[in-house]
Amino acid sequence: MNIVVLVKQVPDTWSERKLTDADHTLDRESADAVLDEINERAVEEALLLKEAHGGEVTVIAMGPGRATDAIRKALSMGADKAVHVSDDALHGSDVIATAKVLAKAIGTVEGFDLVIAGNEATDGRAGAIPAILAEILGLPQVTQLRKVTVEGTTVKGERETEEGVAHLEASLPAIVSVTEKINEPRYPSFKGIMAAKKKPVTTLTVADLGVDAGEVGLGGAWSGVIEASPKPPRSAGQRIDDEGVGGSKIAEYLVGQKLI
Amino acid sequence: MSINFTESDERRALRAAVADLGSRYGHEYFVSKARAGEKTDELWAEAGKLGYLGVAVPEEYGGGGGGIGDLAAVCEELARAGSPMLLMVVSPAICATVIARFGTDAQKQRWLPGFAEGTTKMAFAITEPDAGSNSHRLATRVRRDGDEWVLSGGKYYISGVDEVQAVLVVAFSETGPALMIVPTDVAGLTYRPIEMDIVSPEKQFTMFFDDVRLPSDALVGSEDAGLAQLFAGLNPERIMAASFATGMARRALDKAAEYARTRSVWGAPIGSHQGLAHPLAQCAIQVELARVMTQKAAALYDAGQDKAAGESANMAKYAAGEAVATAVDLAIQVHGGNGLATEYGLGSLLSASRISRIAPVSREMILNYVAQHTLNLPRSY
Repeated sequence: MNIVVLVKQVPDTWSERKLTDADHTLDRESADAVLDEINERAVEEALLLKEAHGGEVTVIAMGPGRATDAIRKALSMGADKAVHVSDDALHGSDVIATAKVLAKAIGTVEGFDLVIAGNEATDGRAGAIPAILAEILGLPQVTQLRKVTVEGTTVKGERETEEGVAHLEASLPAIVSVTEKINEPRYPSFKGIMAAKKKPVTTLTVADLGVDAGEVGLGGAWSGVIEASPKPPRSAGQRIDDEGVGGSKIAEYLVGQKLI
Repeated sequence: MSINFTESDERRALRAAVADLGSRYGHEYFVSKARAGEKTDELWAEAGKLGYLGVAVPEEYGGGGGGIGDLAAVCEELARAGSPMLLMVVSPAICATVIARFGTDAQKQRWLPGFAEGTTKMAFAITEPDAGSNSHRLATRVRRDGDEWVLSGGKYYISGVDEVQAVLVVAFSETGPALMIVPTDVAGLTYRPIEMDIVSPEKQFTMFFDDVRLPSDALVGSEDAGLAQLFAGLNPERIMAASFATGMARRALDKAAEYARTRSVWGAPIGSHQGLAHPLAQCAIQVELARVMTQKAAALYDAGQDKAAGESANMAKYAAGEAVATAVDLAIQVHGGNGLATEYGLGSLLSASRISRIAPVSREMILNYVAQHTLNLPRSY
């Protein structure tokens, strides 16, 4: 089974994340860049499926030059090869442009059976890429999964929501997205780290993929950020002196917030 | 040796992976195991399975094929994450290195795959009550008797004897110091823990060899080339001890700086006062200098320059020992009363941070070494 995993390099959630003043895109210099944790889980799931069914795992990332670090991390975990779409023209791309480019990149992987993505990236948080990709590629989508299995030519999954658990299935090839409940990603072994540098990484530009540069990037984006300001510091909160009714005051507050 | 002050992508990836693993366990895990009298077996096993403990074992025996620099990076990152592993200084660094370099094919086949996966642990015994770590004055003797060896004498301050399969014992034969592999279940061997005031899962032991009979293949390397072989193991030990110390020092310094940034008294973070800022900055310099020296020693060792590595490893061990003692002391001072509160995890480092000035070779013996060998001064002892 040939599996494609979509990965993204994001600013570390532990560091201070900012938008640039110039064009309100992500300030990549201000924060440590890491492989998004949800993508580590997506890679892990791909590796588990590969271990069960055989095949090959290809990692696809769109991002600037330094995204190779995130790709290497995925390769060091055990993925077999990678496609890195890197082009200055992609700077500021929205989800639609990103999905178009990723669809083309997925098309370069011969005979793929399954595409695995995280449900949403920790930076953009649109959570729309898997669905848009499914639309563009004309493939079934099974999203927001906490469990994935493949039986023959069918992928089955469990989606947990507040209402309950939905059991979903689709025929391959298909696109799935996974949540943080899917698994615990492995640590790269030392041998995996050493092997990663020898694994093939194909670097492609927008032109290589046959995408019109005018359709992507800030200029091609369907929406734009006009203004951005940091979240105001938390206000002092409400203080109640307990004169024997503290408990019911707390309960009143929680009821007011619809928390109980 | 070309000078290179950036680590390879692979080394940095290894550090990041080990730091992730170590931080999932963390200092609370380490302390709770130590206080319960248990071992950090889960961390050891997981690090072993991932090949982190076997990074320096040759690939043909299932290891990572890296060097002491890689193993030192693992040791440092685990210490920084709050779960230092003392036996890393001994088992993969001394014992696996000595066997890989000087062992027979049979010994390599027997032991190295286990070192590669961390499933084999071996302690190292050189120190004696009447000789310290002076390998020229050892009272433990080994002699041939037919096809066998007979070992007699005793050792003390031997780490981890209760959790290893065997101990690599330095004993005097007729021709000089010899290295003997002694299984811990062999007849005639007894060992007892020494009560220590150190928060550590690894215990210290005295060992007694009462005419312990060993098979002929217990000897590692040759009987008369013992000293060179010994130092092939002791240099990695010093590099690892230095890394153990710089890892702990970085942890203490991180915590001190974090506290100095966030703890406010009289309207300003305490770190805005130069009375704290300058000592912290000095300490950061001291720690980084010790790290650079440690990396130099590892690079020399991995380049096969044993003699130059010896001087650097001693200097690195000295610098790292001073740095960690300063860093932990300063971190406690910055925290005030909190510095000794269990919650802040600094008091538990205090006595461990002092070990680095004493073991595996004392600060004073390193100064003797540098005076004599680097400066060509008369020997003082």
